[in-house]
Amino acid sequence: MAEFWSIYLLPGIIILAQILAIVVPLLLAVAMLTYFERKIMAAMQLRMGPNVVGPFGLLQAFADGAKLFFKETVLPTSANKIVFLIAPMLTFCLSLVAWAVIPFDDGMVVSDINVGILYLFAISSLGVYGIVMAGWASNSKYPFLSALRSAAQMVSYEVSIGFVIITVLLCVGSLNVSDVVRAQAEGVWFFIPLFPMFIIFFISALAETNRHPFDLPEAEAELVAGYQVEYSSMTFALFFLGEYANMILMSGLTAILFLGGWLPPFDIAPFNWIPGPIWFFLKISVLLFVFVWVRATLPRYRYDQLMRLGWKVFLPFSLFWVALTAGVLVAFDLVPQT
Amino acid sequence: MANPHDYATAAPEIFLALAAMALLMLGVFRGNRSTRSLCWLAVASFAIALLLVFQAPAERSVSFAGMYVADSFTAFVKAMVLIASGAGLIMSMGYIRDEGMARFEYPVLFMLATLGMMMMVSANDLIALYMGIELQSLALYVIAAFQRDSLRSTEAGLKYFVLGALSSGMLLYGCSLIYGFTGATGFDAIAVALKGQEHAGIGLIVGIVFLCAGLAFKVSAVPFHMWTPDVYEGAPTPVTAFFAVAPKIAALALFMRALIVPFLAISADWQQIIIVISIASMLLGAFAAIWQDNIKRLMAYSSIGHVGYALIGLAAGSTEGVRGVLVYLAIYLAMNVGTFACILCMRRKTGMVEGVSDLAGLSKSNPMMALALAIFMFSMAGIPPLGGFFGKFYVFIAAMNAELYALAVIGVLASVVGAFYYLRIIKVMYFDEPGEPFEGPMSVEMRAIIGLCSIVVVFFAFYTAPFVASAEVAAAALVP
Amino acid sequence: MDDLLKEYLPILMFFAVAVGLSIVIVVASMVVVPSHPDAEKLSAYECGFEAFDDARGRFDVRFYLVAILFIVFDLEVAFLFPWAVSLGKIGMLGFWSMMVFLGILTIGFIYEWKKGALEWE
Repeated sequence: MAEFWSIYLLPGIIILAQILAIVVPLLLAVAMLTYFERKIMAAMQLRMGPNVVGPFGLLQAFADGAKLFFKETVLPTSANKIVFLIAPMLTFCLSLVAWAVIPFDDGMVVSDINVGILYLFAISSLGVYGIVMAGWASNSKYPFLSALRSAAQMVSYEVSIGFVIITVLLCVGSLNVSDVVRAQAEGVWFFIPLFPMFIIFFISALAETNRHPFDLPEAEAELVAGYQVEYSSMTFALFFLGEYANMILMSGLTAILFLGGWLPPFDIAPFNWIPGPIWFFLKISVLLFVFVWVRATLPRYRYDQLMRLGWKVFLPFSLFWVALTAGVLVAFDLVPQT
Repeated sequence: MANPHDYATAAPEIFLALAAMALLMLGVFRGNRSTRSLCWLAVASFAIALLLVFQAPAERSVSFAGMYVADSFTAFVKAMVLIASGAGLIMSMGYIRDEGMARFEYPVLFMLATLGMMMMVSANDLIALYMGIELQSLALYVIAAFQRDSLRSTEAGLKYFVLGALSSGMLLYGCSLIYGFTGATGFDAIAVALKGQEHAGIGLIVGIVFLCAGLAFKVSAVPFHMWTPDVYEGAPTPVTAFFAVAPKIAALALFMRALIVPFLAISADWQQIIIVISIASMLLGAFAAIWQDNIKRLMAYSSIGHVGYALIGLAAGSTEGVRGVLVYLAIYLAMNVGTFACILCMRRKTGMVEGVSDLAGLSKSNPMMALALAIFMFSMAGIPPLGGFFGKFYVFIAAMNAELYALAVIGVLASVVGAFYYLRIIKVMYFDEPGEPFEGPMSVEMRAIIGLCSIVVVFFAFYTAPFVASAEVAAAALVP
Repeated sequence: MDDLLKEYLPILMFFAVAVGLSIVIVVASMVVVPSHPDAEKLSAYECGFEAFDDARGRFDVRFYLVAILFIVFDLEVAFLFPWAVSLGKIGMLGFWSMMVFLGILTIGFIYEWKKGALEWE
């Protein structure tokens, strides 16, 4: 019995605690993100933003959540009920499970698998399924069109994301996510040598999360609310949570790949007093601010422009950069030996 | 095997690949008006590749970690494949222009298919084998459906693709079983693993059966022939001409290498499969063709029959047998290219015609073409002293010496039955009431091809000895 | 083998937690909230009209094209992953092999570009 306790139960409980320690703050962060998004946009547009619920309106997101919770879940008659319900759950689950391999500090990670980057790539590419399933199962015109657009858009930008990740991997020589950060501890953060890739990655992340200026799947002026048209109550909330969790995830990934993850900017006295997770959190916050900033600033892309940017600009450029990076590394004998 | 990556071994293939890509770029920047010049450039590339094939040293060289082999057998077969592809492309030029399908991808796809065939011929490993087959097949699927506005052509392409994918699946399944039971994918390594064994285990036999099924599909041998008549009928005629010759030669060469080199030790096991396939193909080719009125369908059944005869040589499994197959294929090449060149000249004002009855009275309206077609038909029937007779002669000899008497006897009987429908075409041309004559003078290329092919077929008797001797050398490279 | 399982067990548990959480959220709301469906509420939204016809109609073939191109390039990225990680071990031959592969791919890319497979308007 004691053996069962020490071998199976205890590690299981520890892992469970770790998972909850990620999921709960993550959901809180999503709530805060929606609040700050509204506040920041309001400030940029010289408005007040939410300021009634709680001090400075801080509890606005929870009020919204409670309101959604107590709404009726509508299942349209023409929809495929099962798929219709699975779609938001899938989106939500995928945005959570990706965090299993994200390191918050050296060794502070739920599962330190040796193919972490591949895992992240796989999970993020599954994201499109949630949207396609939602659009198809709704059996309604706006969701259907939105799902088509969204699928095409996401896969288009996923290709360039793939190439960008390759350039980083060339400099790291490992698929382990923590190794990516460690490699930056020894040299410079990758956004300096790979600056164009950093930009492409961030813009592709905007497209991948269907954010402004690439929010055509939900372009409210033409598609009402895109693939979420038929959703209500908590099924809608799951999409909402999933999308914002994805934004945070993409920011985290950008921070890990290009901005040194948990590392302080300079490894000297005042900076390295601050623990790694705080640095990681700060970097994510800055990137999320940029997400919102872009939304408040830029008009929406036209669909053909969007596809053109993905296929005719990012793809050839990142392909070229893969060859260039590999060439430079081989020519100057800088290939990481692991 | 001093250098594991000796690119010289694959020089013709590398050249062809580079040329195909260069032509693709040329085509896409210059548009469809450059199709004709691209066709000629492709033919020139085939010629250069042919030179490279002949320039290679005669002794066996293996490279890419044993996956790729070049010897006199591959040189012999590659030469045939390149000639067949070149002839097929030359024959196509007028047709694709007249039928409005002169898009620049056409010659490029021909080149890629040919490249795949050359890789098949040189494959010395199950993986290289699969690579070659897929490269060839994918290009062929597209070419079959190249006449996009024609329902029949599209159907042919789709049918070919679906069944081809199925057969590729079987082939891969067989390969994985073989790998599982011998622990190797290289042909030489499998041969070493099987050394000294009398009989294969049941698992390996299942693997070989699947491999044979996949390859039998590619050579369209019974019982995997179902696609052949439909695809031959539906595909544009020059494409059919190409299908009937080059891929068959390459696939038969691959069939021989894939069975003889790795599995020589257990030849008793696979011989039975080949014998059954061979007999079934010969009989079906002979009987089913009798009722065909469409000449392309007739040629499809005829080619099934010819594959049956060629497989006799493989069933023998000896140097003599392989020699027989090579001689057979060379003559088959000349006869079929010539026949299809004639079919391509069957054009009336209303368009192409394909009925056997449309040939009525050809001897009056176009005596030269009728004579040539008659020569090809007599040759296919195996009447001496034409080339076709020698082809059959050498495979039957091999079968006799390998004590496969039943196979040889059935072969002779099948060719007697087959003679009936070949002679029927001659009868229609010479003794039926003339119909409307075919349109216009034949183009220079067509005349040249028909003339050359008939010369080869008629005068084969005079240079049999040196030709058979070189086939012997090639065969000796394959069978130890 | 055991270590491998240990590494992936947390991921499995993470999946379980995520799936459980999402089911709980949806089901709890459905249980707590009274439901009064009617035909109008449950019909597909179409700007106030009755739905004209089935939504799953034909759509632009270019979406298929994008999907096919995506498969080509995504497979290629999948090839690049192991190559990028092991570049230090495979030497010049590995490097140049991949460059040849990328070159061939670039030719295909130029072809599809010039053929207009990437045009949307």
